[in-house]
Order: sequence, then structure tokens, then C-alpha cells
Amino acid sequence: MIIDIHVHTRLGPDPHGFAYLLDQAAELDVTLCVNSLSPKDGAGMPESPTEDEIRRCNDWTAELAAAHPERIIPMWYLNPAHEEFACRELEERVAAHAGLQGVKLWVAVRCNDPRLDPIMRLCAEHKLPVLQHTWYKITGNLPGESTPMDLRELALRHPDVSFFWGHCGGDYEYGAKCARGLPNVYMDLGGGEAMNGYVEILAEHESADHIVFGSDAPGRSLISQLAKVYGADLSDEEREKILYRNAQALFARQGRSHGAAS
Amino acid sequence: MIDANAYLGNWPFRKLKYSTHFAFLEKMDALGIEKAVVSPLENVFYKDQLAGNRHLHSEVNHHPDQFLPAYTINPTFPGWEEDLAICVEEFGMRVMRLHPNYHQFSLDSAEGKTVLDAARGHGFVVIITTGLEDTRHHHPLVKVPDVPGEQVAAAVSAHPDVRFLVAAANFSGISAIWSQCAPAQNLHFEISRVQGPVGDIEKLCATIGADRVLLGTNLPLHVPEAATLAIEHAKITADERAKIEHGNAARLFGL
Repeated sequence: MIIDIHVHTRLGPDPHGFAYLLDQAAELDVTLCVNSLSPKDGAGMPESPTEDEIRRCNDWTAELAAAHPERIIPMWYLNPAHEEFACRELEERVAAHAGLQGVKLWVAVRCNDPRLDPIMRLCAEHKLPVLQHTWYKITGNLPGESTPMDLRELALRHPDVSFFWGHCGGDYEYGAKCARGLPNVYMDLGGGEAMNGYVEILAEHESADHIVFGSDAPGRSLISQLAKVYGADLSDEEREKILYRNAQALFARQGRSHGAAS
Repeated sequence: MIDANAYLGNWPFRKLKYSTHFAFLEKMDALGIEKAVVSPLENVFYKDQLAGNRHLHSEVNHHPDQFLPAYTINPTFPGWEEDLAICVEEFGMRVMRLHPNYHQFSLDSAEGKTVLDAARGHGFVVIITTGLEDTRHHHPLVKVPDVPGEQVAAAVSAHPDVRFLVAAANFSGISAIWSQCAPAQNLHFEISRVQGPVGDIEKLCATIGADRVLLGTNLPLHVPEAATLAIEHAKITADERAKIEHGNAARLFGL
């Protein structure tokens, strides 16, 4: 069993990527935690989506989760700039979906912004893990793109929320140092190139108890990201924790007994 | 399997597993890689390429069945032609690696054309290394953009009698280069930094053809399983898999 906590409905123009991914996930027994940054029937991924775009993104995620309940855990996408609407959208999605679920935040607002706080209180109440995109780019971040230090601030401010640390911060050496000592964060392996020593560095600073498998598929291949784990010097127990046990334990806190990975 | 793109040596920015030839050989055995095309990693930053090439020669000389050396040439540095002659005459050079971005020359500059003319004269296979790791994570003092795809395509088109291997390009990079010079018979790609999107290997086989795609790991910078597992899990024919894992490299490098 594998739980992939970082999957998109689409990334780029290929409309067949998700269907390919579903087939491969069935072959490899992978549960996909899916978020949509793309409104259904839309072409792109707006960096700061409107309320209507957010609804259409989450409609697509909900459709996929309903169609593949054994395979998909929905991760509801929110724009914290919407404030009251963001909270209402989350409460409605949580009420409507009986299974396991979580929240996805991308690049609309840097995550140390106080507008995230009401959303985080809801996540704590419903025990929803939050996949927060982070990247530290020497070439320059987007205006609303969170750095690992931004997420450190948020994680300290909300110790009762569990965070999937998106892409390990991109620059995983930088991200690994920023996350040290935080009990409520889990490093997401997805998205960056499979660099030699990637997982070992994280295991040294965060321990295997605080690393989770993510792929960032379909933009990244599932296999290349699994290679980070299979190619790392880890014990079998550490590998199992990273591939599914850590994420499984977090979702189990929701007390929901049906749906994927329950 | 044959690894068409790898290095021996150390990297200035972090400690790497498999940087010594002993550790590298052990990893090759574990993965089922019988032979690897290797260059000196230190030559990315050494000014004197001959120093790195000489060290590589001394290392691979003990393992001629496992390693095929690809010596690095920097045509912007004084004396490179004499150093090239030493690599040919003393080391038996058959493969030339170029780092146009780290060594700061354009493939269509006078230096680029001269070194490619030299490669044609010697019948070398030329490995054009388009990059080494994600440019977003470079050291702040060493920000090196990847080699532009149009420059690679122009060089391949301008030298139809030179056999090229484009190393360490990602999927979009490969697609862009191929679209500009297809159906170049002298062009090949290795897959170490492809790593997506889903179905990447199948897509490469469908677009550029399985005859031009080679296994490459970019060891010791990357996790080699990213390439070996990608081929293992790809929905391709056994014949295509055999070509990518070893047949194409054996033909290109005359192994």
C-alpha cells in the first residue's frame, strides 16, 4: 500500500494524464490524495482563483472522489484571500463528503498571512491535514508563493493542525532545516527532481516519522518520485512509514470509517 | 543495462553517495548496470580539464569493462587542442563531453564550431550536457541557466555527421529540441532528468522513437532508480525496452 498525498487532476495540457495515473495507481496499490488547481472545463491554473473557479476546481475533485472512492481522497482547494467564502466553501465540502479528506493551499496568498487563520481553525476542528505548497527559488518566487520559513510561522501559530510541507520546500536542504523541531509537519517528497540523498537529508533532520510520500503527478511521474524512497538508504520500517503509515495515521484521526485508505 | 550518462567524483555543493568508483561500481551491480559512460564531475568547475581527465583515466583504466570514459573539453580555455590530443593519444578518447553553460560558450560560437569540427574529425560521440540540476536550487553564487534548446538543435542540424547525445534535458526540453531538428538521424537523448509527466517514456517512444532514447542516470547527482524504474514500469514493448536499456547505447558508443 502507498498513499500519495500530492496529486493534481491536471498539470499542463495533457487531458489523458489523470486516466493514466488512475491505472498506474491501481497496479501499484496507491491511494491518491487529489486536489484540482484547474477549474473543470478550464484551460489553466489561475494563481489567484476566483470564487467561481474555486467551486469548479472542487466540483471536479468531488466528482473524481465519488467516482473512485476506493482510490481517491479529496483535498479541497481554497484561496485564503476569499476569507468568509473560503471558510464556507470548506464547511460545505466537509459536510457533503463522508470520507477522508484534507485541504490544499497553493500560491494565492503567502501562508503566514493572517487570512489563513480562520481556515486553520476549521482544519483543526475537522482534523484535516493541510497540503501547503512551498518553494524556495533562487530564481525568485511568485508574489503569493510561500517559502519554507512562511510555513514554519504558520505551523508554529497552529500547533493543532497537521501540515504536509509541499515539495519539502523545493530546495529540500533549505526546507529540511526550516522544518526542524516542528511536531505537526510532514515533509512532502513530491515535485522536485529525484536527487541523490534527498530522503536521507530529510530523515536526518525530521526523522522518517515526519516524511510522507507525494508525487505531484501527473506533472511528475509517480515512478520517478517513488524512486526517491526506493533509492534511499532506509530501513523497511522507515520506508513503510514514508510510503503510507504516517499519512494513514493522520487521516485516521478523522474517525471516518469509509473511503480510501480507511 | 548501459548507463549513457554518469560521472565520477565530487560536487562542491553537497556530499554525494556513489562519488567514488568503488561505491559507484557497487551501485551499478545492485541495479544491473553492466557499463556506464562516465565523466569527471570535478571538470564542471576545474579550469584545467586535462587534470580531471587524467584522473578519470587513471580510475577507469582499472575497470575497462565497466566504464567508458567521456572526456570533457572546454574550448574556451588555452591549450585545449593540445589537451585533446593527449586525451586521444594517451587515453584513447572516443567520447567528448561538453558543458556549454558551465564553461560559458555557445555551441554556435567560434569556439563551439571549432570543437565540434574537431569531434567530427576524430569521429567522437559528443555528449551535450544541457544542465546538471534544477536551476531553481543552484547555489546563489553559481546560477547557471540550462543550455538553450534552440542552440542544441542548431548544432545538431549544422553537424549531421557528428553523433550527438543530449544529456540531462527534461521532457519539455527534449520535446523542444526534437521539434526543431527532427528527424535528425544523428541525435539521441538520455532520460535521467525526464521524471515526468506520467507516461513520459511511452510519450518519448511515440514522438522521437525508441531508437533514440537511452538509459541515463546522471549519477551521482540523481537517484538512479528514477531512470531504471521508469523504464521497468513503462508500458512499452520488450524490444523498445531492450533498445533503451542497452541496445541504443551499444550501437551509439560501439560497445
